[in-house]
Amino acid sequence: MKKSFLFVSILLIAAFALSACGPKATPTPAPETEAAPTDGGSYYDRAMAGEFSGTVVTMTGPFTDEDAVKFDASVAAFEDATGIDIQYEGSKEFEATISIRVEAGDAPDIVDFPQPGLLGTFVAAGDVVDVSTFLPQSSFDNYNQSWWDMATMQGPDGPIVAGVWHRFNAKSQVWYPKKAFDAAGYQIPETWDDLIALSDQIVADGDTPWCVGIESGAATGWPATDWVEDIMLRTTSLENYDKWTTGDLPFSSPEVKNAMTILDNIWQDKYVYGGRAAIVTTFFGDAPTPMFENPPKCWLHKQGNFITSFFPEGVVAGEDYDFFYLPPIDEQYGKPYLVAGDIMAMFNDRPEVRAVMEFFTHGEALKAWLASGGALAPQKDASLDWYGDDVERGVAALVAQATSVRFDGSDLMPGEVGAGSFWTGMTDYFSGVADMDTVLAEIDASWPRK
Amino acid sequence: MSTPKNPKRKKMVSDILINGSLFLLVALWIIPTIGLLVSSFRTRFDIQTSGWWAVFPHREWVKVKEFAIPENVDPNGVMEIDGVTGTFQEFRDGVSTPDGRKVTWVGNKRLGKIQIQEHRWVMRTDFTLDNYQQVLAGKSFELKNPDGSTRIVQGDNFVGAFLNSLTVSIPATVIPILIAAFAAYGFAWMRFPGRRILFIMVVALLVVPLQIALVPILQDYVKLDLNGTFLALWLAHTGFGLPLATYLLFNYISGLPRDILESAFIDGASHFTIFTKLILPLSVPALASFAIFQFLWVWNDYLVALVFIGSKPDVQVLTMRLAEMVGSRGNDWHLLTAGAFVSMVLPLAVFFGLQRYFVRGLLAGSVKG
Repeated sequence: MKKSFLFVSILLIAAFALSACGPKATPTPAPETEAAPTDGGSYYDRAMAGEFSGTVVTMTGPFTDEDAVKFDASVAAFEDATGIDIQYEGSKEFEATISIRVEAGDAPDIVDFPQPGLLGTFVAAGDVVDVSTFLPQSSFDNYNQSWWDMATMQGPDGPIVAGVWHRFNAKSQVWYPKKAFDAAGYQIPETWDDLIALSDQIVADGDTPWCVGIESGAATGWPATDWVEDIMLRTTSLENYDKWTTGDLPFSSPEVKNAMTILDNIWQDKYVYGGRAAIVTTFFGDAPTPMFENPPKCWLHKQGNFITSFFPEGVVAGEDYDFFYLPPIDEQYGKPYLVAGDIMAMFNDRPEVRAVMEFFTHGEALKAWLASGGALAPQKDASLDWYGDDVERGVAALVAQATSVRFDGSDLMPGEVGAGSFWTGMTDYFSGVADMDTVLAEIDASWPRK
Repeated sequence: MSTPKNPKRKKMVSDILINGSLFLLVALWIIPTIGLLVSSFRTRFDIQTSGWWAVFPHREWVKVKEFAIPENVDPNGVMEIDGVTGTFQEFRDGVSTPDGRKVTWVGNKRLGKIQIQEHRWVMRTDFTLDNYQQVLAGKSFELKNPDGSTRIVQGDNFVGAFLNSLTVSIPATVIPILIAAFAAYGFAWMRFPGRRILFIMVVALLVVPLQIALVPILQDYVKLDLNGTFLALWLAHTGFGLPLATYLLFNYISGLPRDILESAFIDGASHFTIFTKLILPLSVPALASFAIFQFLWVWNDYLVALVFIGSKPDVQVLTMRLAEMVGSRGNDWHLLTAGAFVSMVLPLAVFFGLQRYFVRGLLAGSVKG
């Protein structure tokens, strides 16, 4: 009750904030063209020399609780060295409040967006500073080009680089209870056929192979969208995937339908613990728990690397659980990897803010976090040795070897779809409320048209 | 059916009916709360694997013996284990033995075990105070330094947020009551032009949702540099609470007996004297009941606080701490149970502290003189 009231209220505010977006009274602060990198090095170097000591940089984003502690730990060394105080304000309802704050002229210096789609809204309104105006070439060289492609967004005066990538999560892996898995003599599947054969084998042995749960409060359905995206990457070209995330390839197209059908074939009563009916009622964080019972009740769980924080206390990475790469379906599309991550965007242009933005392009900015676990670094200079456990190191190595990397499609789509009808559509379909064609048509109909 | 001849018996039946339905309503209302309370003392794993009602005595199949699958059985055919026969599927569900036990195959065909189970009365009473400890003292996070050593970082605790909530709630309750009491007296007992239209405007404001005011107010706060301060929140809550406060107090104050006020006027009392000496003391029940409303509303408010002071640890209120406690992805949801009870303590105290004002008839006998 209270939650839904809150949700409605937030929608109302967001709608209000957006509707008031029209012509902006304050023009975008034009980046000062002071030929930055020549005088005494880049902003980062100048900050390290102590030039900006005593300044404060404010940030807002979704890091709360444990993430906030780890973030603070990972920027502490930079703060000590430069004298810049980075004040991070984490909020559970960050997505709702940021619209209000920007609209009211109260934007923090740097905002941390887990969903680039939302950032796109601010870029289009001209609120965001183009980071390519001041970042040195070394920062650009420190990422795969695909990250910069994903950071490039359409501003009012043409495309800008809207931010820099901070940490990321990898999603294309399947977790399994290693001890029992080995004891039972199961083999890690290398191909999709192997995966289905393994599932059938587990069924024949009297268990259900997959742990699946997509319940997540108001966001129920999102784990299903990850599945569809992973299957899309394995069954169609990257061009089609990109077109799909921008709305040019409709959900009712054969490609998306094919992906849905493949998913549908796995999420059957015989394959899913608790049966298909349990999928939409099981909390995504609780879904892997039966995997750790002795003996396990289900054996395979596909989820991003953050899911390890939901695993029961005391289970050991590499001993009690491990992961394998979700196998390719069609070999011609290689070994794609689905990722999601945090992009840091800059709303106020000051030298010390530029220095902090440049700092985020260094792997150093994540070093302490990698050691403690819970993040992967997209920066090339982040060494694999920095990871605190073998599982995350293994995931990071796999992503580095992937033939292609694509961002979580639902996070790229406009909020109405990516955080709306795509979720609810999946929920409706797997709870049996609507059939596939209806669901896909409804998602298509919900795309905002200009 | 009772006979109409016996009115005493009829009254008893209706008493039973009324008390019975009241009891039922109370039970319906209170059962989820009891469940929450019980859950707050259980570990996360227990909450996940069994319902809170499992703490009460109930019958369950309990393992008494466990052994490996005998070598001579073929799980794909009909098996005989411990004197009973059945297929794999039947053993998975458990096959009953003549002496009331059950032979159950646990696990799959490869990693299975055989359990002999008995139907017994059990209670799950392994309670823990961990949830409360983590809520009150803060969670401790283990961070690894790059050199491999670990250190413990203590997360935010409830105390700061609790004090912040108090700092917000008390003025945000007192200010609107003060203003509304004056306004209500004015509307009720003073004659001035535009009184009706002003009062209608106040009442009309009751139906305006506060959400539409958030952005404009925030814009003003940013200009005044008030944003992120407690004062901003006091003013916001005052504004949002005033229409209801004025309306409620008006109803009460305008219903006070005219005789008292008239005699005071005749004795030469000014409006201010009447207000402070007569109206305020007489209105204590109304003031107290509105104070309860307003206090509970401000204490439980999340949205207004989120917008106007945000979630910085030094100013964040309890509701925000509560929401954050579950972790970035909701991985610590089990702490909400304990957190909810801790945050409930003060509102309950306020309610029971002020509740007697509802019942105390201050007016009784005051007119008879």
